[in-house]
Amino acid sequence: MTFRLPTLVRTTTFKLALLHSALFGVFVLGLLVYLYASTVVYIRSEAGASLDAEITELVQAYRTGGLVRLNQSILERSSVPGSRQFIYLLQDSRGQKISGDLSGLPTGVPVDGPQNVIFNIDYPKADGSIETRPAEGRLATVTDGSVIFVAYDVDEFVGIIPRITQVVWTAAPIGLLMSLLGGVIISRSAARRADELAKTAEGVMAGDLTRRAPVVGSGDEFDRLAEHLNAMLGRIEQLMLSSRHVGDSIAHDLRSPLTRLRNRLETTLAQPMEQDVAEETLGQTLGEVDDVLATFNAILRLSRLEAGESGRMERIDISALASELTELYEPACEEAGLSFSTAIGRGLYVRGDRDLLAQAISNLLDNAVKYTPAGGNIRFEVARGREGSAVVRIVDSGPGIPAHERAQAVKRFVRLEASRSEPGSGLGLALVDAVAHVHAGELLLDRGDGVGEEAPGLSTTLRLPRL
Amino acid sequence: MQMCEPGETEMRVLVIEDDKDMASFISKVLSEAGHVVDVAHRGDRGLTLARAGDFDALVVDRMLPEKDGLTLVREYREGGGVSPALFLSALGEVDHRVEGLKVGGDDYLAKPFAPSELAARVEALGRRQVSEAPVTNLKAGDLEMDLLSRKVTRAGQKIDLQPREFRLLEYLMRHAGQVVTRTMLLEKVWDYHFDPQTNVIDVHISRLRGKIDKDFDEALLHTVRGAGYRLQA
Repeated sequence: MTFRLPTLVRTTTFKLALLHSALFGVFVLGLLVYLYASTVVYIRSEAGASLDAEITELVQAYRTGGLVRLNQSILERSSVPGSRQFIYLLQDSRGQKISGDLSGLPTGVPVDGPQNVIFNIDYPKADGSIETRPAEGRLATVTDGSVIFVAYDVDEFVGIIPRITQVVWTAAPIGLLMSLLGGVIISRSAARRADELAKTAEGVMAGDLTRRAPVVGSGDEFDRLAEHLNAMLGRIEQLMLSSRHVGDSIAHDLRSPLTRLRNRLETTLAQPMEQDVAEETLGQTLGEVDDVLATFNAILRLSRLEAGESGRMERIDISALASELTELYEPACEEAGLSFSTAIGRGLYVRGDRDLLAQAISNLLDNAVKYTPAGGNIRFEVARGREGSAVVRIVDSGPGIPAHERAQAVKRFVRLEASRSEPGSGLGLALVDAVAHVHAGELLLDRGDGVGEEAPGLSTTLRLPRL
Repeated sequence: MQMCEPGETEMRVLVIEDDKDMASFISKVLSEAGHVVDVAHRGDRGLTLARAGDFDALVVDRMLPEKDGLTLVREYREGGGVSPALFLSALGEVDHRVEGLKVGGDDYLAKPFAPSELAARVEALGRRQVSEAPVTNLKAGDLEMDLLSRKVTRAGQKIDLQPREFRLLEYLMRHAGQVVTRTMLLEKVWDYHFDPQTNVIDVHISRLRGKIDKDFDEALLHTVRGAGYRLQA
């Protein structure tokens, strides 16, 4: 049979409060028990010791001065008012009272020995009534057979014990109550902070990505937890936004070529099919499909890079790589009517992935060739930068990117208005930026070699840290 | 659709691919290119077939049930199998390509791919086996290349080529009659494994064409639309 605990019982608040009060209660009870025990034992042993000392003194008096001296001592002690601590009785060997406070030995007193006996004494009071109080005494026999009996009023010596007991019984519940209260207060505040965090998470899960956990500024664990939670939520929000943006961009960038494709196929299908028209159409169609595939591949590659996949890092001769790429791109530049100049410093090495670096530099060169109008120029430089870094710079005289749009230009799928009509996936600079990050380097954009504000040109700098 | 004309020699190709649609697509592409295709859908079955049959080329998917593609090719090579193998994979990254080549693969193609790319690469693989003996001379029609003296002549006329143009022509001549794609050229001649967005390869080809075809009546270097180039006498 199972049953659900009431909600209250399952809360951390309740458990913490319970644990707290249980621990505190045990502590208080222990303290009280210890206090009680040690006090009572001490008082009892003190009283016993005084009784012993008193008897020893009286026996000593008998030894030095016989029965007369003993009797005198007892009389003296009994007659001192106020300081009376003990109750005395002296009897001769036949059991006749010689002196003392008691009329006779209480019943049950052992003949001789160390045992104490507890008995009651009746005190006549001023109003004629009789008060009965407990007393504890011991008997000693001296050599002529006379008997000394000394007792003390229990209430006077140990009367404090019941009072302590009473205090303990009063204090224990108060202590328990206080500990329970303290536990509730402490755990309530912890539970409230935990509740706030839970509410924030709930809100975010419900779709409100802007929700953040409150930070009260106490700098405690909950504040740290809240700060970390907020940082995490910030990152999630950013990722969600960027993935939404990427989704939109993919839809946009792939929808246009696919729509074009569809329209072309439909119009071609509607016409009477002639061999050369059909071939032309199919050729164009294939080209567009290839573009779409290339975009997909670029997205895949970029995602891998952004997820931190870095490929094989090895020692790369960046100078040699740049020379090879120069050789690859030079004809294309000439074909496009651009003058291409290089200044490649020798013997520059970086640690990196050859394919990724080649692709990054090739993307920058592609952009320069694509956007620089005929008659312009492209400069390709590789030089040593500060702190031994290698700097790859490509400067063109094209339209450039306005200063306020440069940060935007390296983001995924951002194709600035001016370039929307040009072919391309909009992933080129984002990929270069991602490659730079994988190599602990950076991509910087600036104005280039162009003349005037119409076409300032673009300078792209890929800075890679020293080997 | 006649994108790639059948190669001169018919090849026997074993396709090991678990996705049935993909397998039949590959099989169709290769059949249309004039090859005989066998298909296996599981790794272990593929290995048995590869060992039993005398195939000119293997097309092996990386992810396979029972035995993954890498293990399959490694065991095939360890057992003395010599047929060239092309890895197909959705994981098109550099590391994966290198892994594939390390276990004895000969080429690597990432999905999604253009059918012409696949056909061209499979044909290039098959031909490699035939021309295993070291050659010092390549010939395509009246175009001749001496690999030792690094001289190129057409109809007895000397043609001057830059080192990279020489390597480009050498690759085209080694695969004369076959379609070679831009990506293949970029990989085999330049050793780059990405697709440039501009027409860099086309420009190199047109320069080469200017040197070998310009002064002659018959063109040797043809453009195959949607696929690449072909050197054919």
